[in-house]
Amino acid sequence: MSLRSRIRSWWQALAHRSQIDREVQQELEFHLNAHADHLIENGVEPSEAMRQAKIAFGRADVQKEKYRAAIGLRPLYEIGSDIRYGFRSLYRHPMISFAAVISLALGIGATTAIFNLIDSALLHPFPYVDAERIVNPSLIDLKQPLVPTWFALEPAQYESFLKAKSVDSVLGFMLGAQPETGGAFPEDVGTAYVTPNMNDFLGVNALLGRGLRPSDGSGNVIVLGYKYWQRRFGGDPSVIGHTLQLSHTDLTIIGVMPARFAFTETVGNVDAYVPWSASRAPALFPLIKLRRGVTPATAGEEFQAYVKHFKQQTPLHFPDDFHVNVEPIAAPYMHRTGQAVKLLFASVVFLLLIGCANCSVLLLARGEARQHELSIRAAIGASRLRLMRQLLIESLAIAFIGAALGTALSFWLANLPLKLMPGIFPQEAAIGMNWRILAFSIALALITGILFGLAPALRFSRPDVSQMIQSRSRTLSSSGGHSLNMLIGAQVALTLLLLGVAGAAVTGFMRLTSMKLGYDPHNVGFVSVPLKWDPNKNQPAYTSYIEQLRNAVAAVPGVQSASILSSFIPPSQPFGGMGKPYIIELLGQQTRPEQYPSLVHLISPEFFATVKTPLTRGRLWTADENRRGDFVAIVNESFVQRYLGGREPIGQQIRTDGLRNDGRSKTITSPNSGEWRQIVGVVADARNDGLERPVFPAVYVPYSTFMWYTTRIFFRAETDPRTLERPLRAALHNVNASQRIFGNEIGTLDEALTGQTVWVQQHMFSVLFTFFGVLALSLSLFGIASTVLFAVGRRRNELGIRMALGAQRSHIIWTVASTMFATIACGIVAGFAIHLAAQHLLAHWMPAGNHSPWVFAPAAGLLLLGAAAACLLPAMRAAYANPLETLRAE
Amino acid sequence: MGRKVDLLQGTLEVLILKSVSLGKLHGYGILLRIQQIAGGKLEIPQGSFYIALYRMEHKGLIASEWGSSENNRRAKFYQLTAAGRKQLRLETEKWAQMTDVVGTVLSATPETL
Repeated sequence: MSLRSRIRSWWQALAHRSQIDREVQQELEFHLNAHADHLIENGVEPSEAMRQAKIAFGRADVQKEKYRAAIGLRPLYEIGSDIRYGFRSLYRHPMISFAAVISLALGIGATTAIFNLIDSALLHPFPYVDAERIVNPSLIDLKQPLVPTWFALEPAQYESFLKAKSVDSVLGFMLGAQPETGGAFPEDVGTAYVTPNMNDFLGVNALLGRGLRPSDGSGNVIVLGYKYWQRRFGGDPSVIGHTLQLSHTDLTIIGVMPARFAFTETVGNVDAYVPWSASRAPALFPLIKLRRGVTPATAGEEFQAYVKHFKQQTPLHFPDDFHVNVEPIAAPYMHRTGQAVKLLFASVVFLLLIGCANCSVLLLARGEARQHELSIRAAIGASRLRLMRQLLIESLAIAFIGAALGTALSFWLANLPLKLMPGIFPQEAAIGMNWRILAFSIALALITGILFGLAPALRFSRPDVSQMIQSRSRTLSSSGGHSLNMLIGAQVALTLLLLGVAGAAVTGFMRLTSMKLGYDPHNVGFVSVPLKWDPNKNQPAYTSYIEQLRNAVAAVPGVQSASILSSFIPPSQPFGGMGKPYIIELLGQQTRPEQYPSLVHLISPEFFATVKTPLTRGRLWTADENRRGDFVAIVNESFVQRYLGGREPIGQQIRTDGLRNDGRSKTITSPNSGEWRQIVGVVADARNDGLERPVFPAVYVPYSTFMWYTTRIFFRAETDPRTLERPLRAALHNVNASQRIFGNEIGTLDEALTGQTVWVQQHMFSVLFTFFGVLALSLSLFGIASTVLFAVGRRRNELGIRMALGAQRSHIIWTVASTMFATIACGIVAGFAIHLAAQHLLAHWMPAGNHSPWVFAPAAGLLLLGAAAACLLPAMRAAYANPLETLRAE
Repeated sequence: MGRKVDLLQGTLEVLILKSVSLGKLHGYGILLRIQQIAGGKLEIPQGSFYIALYRMEHKGLIASEWGSSENNRRAKFYQLTAAGRKQLRLETEKWAQMTDVVGTVLSATPETL
């Protein structure tokens, strides 16, 4: 039996349907004629022959169906007609169908959006070829296991690394910043020195001109990033071939990269790409593309041996005890936002479930109205399976329309977290549409269609024919009550849960915004100042240069106070060499390792005035002490409380090895930077370890004690600090015409605060969850209201009789609404119970949320109020109807 | 004409195969030929007869083409395909085996056991 003939007959039946129908008909006619002829030959009257032939044949009118059944296509045709019928019946109840489609579209839209976000912004954020095989190996210092650091390689080490077995190819890069010379102010250009295989390695072509090629060697060419091209050249396409002067070297512009390309914003701001050479940057960070099939773990083992070997060559470049960590480049983002995205996904799934429950409720309600029709179909012989199929097809039709709308909606919705959380997802991430997302939404449509269609299908596919045929039975029917109540209860529980999470998110965010910072970020701006490395300059020379810059800023009209803080930007955790707490030794105390960990802040004494952190005891150090750098320190209250145990802080001697010049990086230190210092003053606590953690014990020392290639000037302005950009740059220019500022712009502490990961996340949570909560609430209330409305409709007759017999209106309202109230109460209790059970998980996913159970009180109140309104409005309508009219209507 | 025999389940196909194997025939012709060979002893429901034809064509046991009948009417003629010929051989063997076995069982007497 050949498959070919089957496919051929199926194809013909489907594609040439009318021709096949005609042929079946013709063959039938031929048969009847031939039979009749035969009968006539045998002596039957011609008028009688045809009749007898037809009788012998049986039912001729269903021959086409028989043909389809014979070749196994009948279910297909039935489904086709079911679908047509389904759409007609959806059209017959437009309000219900519309509401069902919308509630599903919202649920599917939100779910697909978060799926899209995960797919586009977390799993495949980079527009590079084979991005999942690109890794940046980092070192985990076993003493500081929480902070992986990248490692740079000397050119020879880099060359030898290329030979590793797990390595497919390597891209070397080093970030630098160079001044563009020849303009009014020296403009800072964020430069990436890259090995010339950059464009091949990442598989991204230039938008204009060409990318770098191996043949460029280390020539004087430059490829511009899109944003820099827009900013500096106004997007002028004729820029190709022109020269750009950086640090007095002319570079020929050969290309402009596309808009999405932002390599490597993971590390820092990059404006342009210049081929690497040993004279431009001494070392290279490796970005590695693993060979196909090599796992990060095996690569890590191999690299471990390599880096051990490198450490023997250049011991100062590596920590004492470390292991190599190899992860795909998207992994850090996953670690950072994974929890937030999990929470989002869980909540949109809830939203989808609420939407499904709503559809079920609506279909159940509509099914009541359709019982008559269904029982007629059952009475004339439709099987239960056929009715179920019909009902499921209708729910699938709703699901697919909902999914189509939802997928369109999701495109907009998926961009929302990206907009609400700038800097949290990779800059290069772009929300797109691909087969994975389409497959996901189709799967969702199928699953939800069956999920919400099943209860109504099971319930209505077995109509009580005898009862329904006695048209309009006047019984007190409460059919469908159980599953309906369950659904409403579940809906209420989930809605309460979402509202509770929204409450936790919003109050958590409010707590962040009203948090006691210990400093006043308002109107405080800062500029980061690169210092030129000069082996001929000593500590006093650098100190006086920095002091000159500070004085220049302080003299700008509109600046109230200017100071130096080179180690961190409040309130974040410090970065760089000063990122880790140092071990502080107290004179006269036995110091065990890790006994007094403290953050060390490098400042000038005006800093406390600039950020308005009060001095609580002792004094600030003087200008002379500030220039010398040694022997003085100020500590914060936490330090006093945690480490000094009630002793008088002023006069205590402390020291730390962390301030010693260990020669590892280009640092300039004061002569006795690692020696004993006297605590001269105590300041109030100010956030220095991020917003989510308490203030860390801190030691403030003069910035002149430990300097490196960059410092930062903070200033308090009378108004928005950004308005001072030009006078401020002019002032710095006056001190040193070649002095530039990083990024060519003024940063503000307000921005540093609102750019905190926890702030951004909590802001996003509070916006999205308020949105989700409102959606869930309106869906649930709609479901409740329509259920009561249908219940009232079904019981009109009964209510009319009750009223005619003298029932009070309040009694009528109670009769109608009491079951619903009980259901809602059960739902609220269930929602609260689920919340208590899931509390731990929520705290894990939303660390900055407010996890007090009290946030549930307003949520439950809101829900109750809404539910009462949704119940009572239709109930009141029933109670105020004229009983005579109600009875007459039957 | 003796008593008519009901068609055994599944035997209609093999009868059709056999009658088509003797030459190209249209539907009514096949019906006539089976009745003729069976000496009018078989009752074939005409409705299901065509269903069997459709199914067999769908399975590729017989192939059809349009031609004109003895009375110059357009008729659909069926003939055996290679697959159909093979099927006929198999079915014939099976049928022979079956009648053998059933015959043996039915002819059993206390002595043969």
